[in-house]
Amino acid sequence: MNNVKQELKLTARDSLLTFADDVAQKGGAVRAEEAEPERHLVIFGLDREEFGIPIARAREIVRVPEITRVPQAPPHIRGVMNLRGRILPVVEIRTRFGLERAELTPRSRVVVVEAHGRMVGILVDVVSQVVKIGESAIVPPPDEVVSQRADYVSNVARVGPRLIILIELDKALLLENVSTPAPLLS
Amino acid sequence: MNDDAGNPFAELLEEYVAECAPLAEAVGDTLVTLERRWEEGDPADQLFGTLKGSLHTLKGNSAMMGLTAIQALAHCMEDVCAFLGERPDLRPSASGLLLRGAGVLVEMVGRAARGPLSADRSEAFISEAREFIQTESVGAEVSAPYPERRRFERRTGSEVGELGADGVVSTIRVDARRLDGLLETFGETMIAGLGLREAVRDLAVHHRGAGFTDLEHALTSLEKTLKRLEGALMATRLVSIATVFGRFNLLVREVANAHEKRVRLVTSGGETQLDKTVIDRLGEPLVHLVTNAVIHGLESPEDRERAGKPAEATVTLSATQRSDRVILTVTDDGRGLDPERILHKARQLGAVAADATPSREEVFAMAFLPGLSTTERVSALAGRGVGLDVVANSIRTLGGSIEVASEPGKGTKFTMSLPLTLAVLRSLLVAVDGERYAVPLGDVAESLRVTNEAIHEVDGHGMMFWRGQVIPVSDAAEVLGGRAARSSRTYCVVVRSGAKRRGMLVDGLLGHQDVVVKALDPSLGRPPTISGATILGDGRIACILDTARFAELRTTEAATPSLS
Amino acid sequence: MSAKPVFLVVDDSRLHHQMYMLVFAKGALAGSTLLHAKNGREGYALFTTHPEIEMVFLDLNMPEMNGLEFLERRRSENLHPHIPVVLVTTEDSAEDEARGRAAGAWEYLRKPFTPAQLTELVERARARSVRT
Repeated sequence: MNNVKQELKLTARDSLLTFADDVAQKGGAVRAEEAEPERHLVIFGLDREEFGIPIARAREIVRVPEITRVPQAPPHIRGVMNLRGRILPVVEIRTRFGLERAELTPRSRVVVVEAHGRMVGILVDVVSQVVKIGESAIVPPPDEVVSQRADYVSNVARVGPRLIILIELDKALLLENVSTPAPLLS
Repeated sequence: MNDDAGNPFAELLEEYVAECAPLAEAVGDTLVTLERRWEEGDPADQLFGTLKGSLHTLKGNSAMMGLTAIQALAHCMEDVCAFLGERPDLRPSASGLLLRGAGVLVEMVGRAARGPLSADRSEAFISEAREFIQTESVGAEVSAPYPERRRFERRTGSEVGELGADGVVSTIRVDARRLDGLLETFGETMIAGLGLREAVRDLAVHHRGAGFTDLEHALTSLEKTLKRLEGALMATRLVSIATVFGRFNLLVREVANAHEKRVRLVTSGGETQLDKTVIDRLGEPLVHLVTNAVIHGLESPEDRERAGKPAEATVTLSATQRSDRVILTVTDDGRGLDPERILHKARQLGAVAADATPSREEVFAMAFLPGLSTTERVSALAGRGVGLDVVANSIRTLGGSIEVASEPGKGTKFTMSLPLTLAVLRSLLVAVDGERYAVPLGDVAESLRVTNEAIHEVDGHGMMFWRGQVIPVSDAAEVLGGRAARSSRTYCVVVRSGAKRRGMLVDGLLGHQDVVVKALDPSLGRPPTISGATILGDGRIACILDTARFAELRTTEAATPSLS
Repeated sequence: MSAKPVFLVVDDSRLHHQMYMLVFAKGALAGSTLLHAKNGREGYALFTTHPEIEMVFLDLNMPEMNGLEFLERRRSENLHPHIPVVLVTTEDSAEDEARGRAAGAWEYLRKPFTPAQLTELVERARARSVRT
């Protein structure tokens, strides 16, 4: 099991590094002490905040491709994108988190993740880092974070002066309830 | 597909189906009538003779084609008939058995042209029939010995042996999911082909000469091969609709008995073929329509006679292919829909303004509104009280449309239009507001250039003259939730859904293209005017318009252009 | 035998007519003319007006005059007794075959038959007519 996990990390990381070119330049994965269990995270930025998701959940990080708008789609859906022949929804995670719609910049990226057994793209402002964080740095979220985002924030990680909000993807991307058609009258 | 090269007449398989499918259906229909006559104590010998004749012809024809499983089935049904010939007292109790056999017969004959047949169902029937004959013969020995019983035993016994030994045609069972996977891969190949074609077109601007011509030729031949591959792939997925129709004889009989109706079911066009996915998902909505027709659409025999109609009602199921669509109808000659009642309920539900005076057609269209038909049509036998809205939704998710026409006192007719296949769609690409959309070509009545002057404002709704009639016009950009700037839309695509027409103003017509249909991820909700998406040759995505929904937009939803 | 040989097919199944056409379009029988009738009554009318018919393929079970009725009428009218009539039956019609022979059928052919069986019958009949 451990071997498998290791392998998975490696391949996932390889592909991540290929796509996230600026990540490589920044380099400097934060290292904790040898013995401590670690979490391997992808860190992305929205506005001035940093968010983290487990690297195992991220399939790919790609530059923003052509996104096709889907008429009458729910508001947090930016559109659909073509990932090697598959049509994936692209989630405007910013509006889901109560922020304004994203302006696309050269640093914008789509993080392709798996949630609820399906592949979904998440549009983010920037992918800043792939880090390993020791378990001891991961703590329950402070109150001010909880109050607004209790439903999808699992924990926070403190890396030096930075506060990284760890997202529970399945909850953050629980989008269906927004668009489920009203039950039939009986 | 006909790998039974051993049969010298294999090339006549299509002809076989064309002749035998109606014959098999006739067997079912005759049996339904016979059953009632027998129950009434009428031996109906002449009709019984017709039945035996049909079975005999089916047996002979199937034998000639080397379709031994069908041959054995027809033969076995003949045996049951011969047995009943000597035992008229058993006829009423055996009709159900024969009807089941007829269902299998219809299904197998319908499938015969599409490759190897499985004998599972026919064998199951044969053993059931054999058991029936044996049990009844034993019972009969006490009271009225059945003189030729031994003959039956011998014959049915050898039949089973033949079935086992003679493997008919080499059969390969394929998991349907594998076929789906194959189709998906084919779709990707086709998209890659489209991309290649576009790249070549771009190159053509700068390159000429022999080498380039070779490239073009190679590509053209690749495209042709892909087209053939598509056809072959689709053929493996086509199933004759007789497989669905086959169940209805029994169903109608049961429902009619339970509700004390007298109903004759007529089916036609059972040989019409549709994609397996469509067939699989078609059964349920059809069952609802037919059940509803029998329970609610038809009057009691007494009421019918009082109204001057034949006591026996007719429910008709028909299928016909029209270019790349299949038209299905469910018709009854019952009391018809009551427009007043529908309108009343629609008003209660707030679906229509209290002072609105919709046309009769518009009123009938309201029957498909959620909540409208559910309460009216709850039935113990139908299980759940499923409304017409659910039926309409199932049809729409198949890329189809449904409409209803009715004449009070005369009957009701549901007409469904369905795509032959769900995988590849012939479409017209249009440009709207910087995006491209694929419009199913089968739903396009015409596409034309229009000027602003051609669009008239009537009560704030866009209207235009088209082929001598006035049709509503909507700005596609606005319906699709984009910016409205009508002045820039210079083309109009007239889309149709049943009798409905609607003009759709677009920015440009980009030509015809076969597109590979992909479903939208559920997280995209169910956008009402979009039925799916496709990847175009340049790798970009285009949404596929749900033309039927577009054509059926109510004026309020239709977002007529505002001139702001 | 300079003129094209003529055969009469009497069968209520369109499919069977096409099968005969397939067989008669090929090999030794290529170039034959086929007359088609969809029941015994039509078949008898053609039989009456075409004495040049070389052989008749007569289905047993048909509406509007079946094969046996056809044969019995021909015998009673003694119409073209030289033309061999082949009664086409299914495997379980042994009784009818006997009656058919009694009514003047020259031979019978059981379904399912093969093109070779059909060709063989024609050749056998030709050999017979040469001998006599």
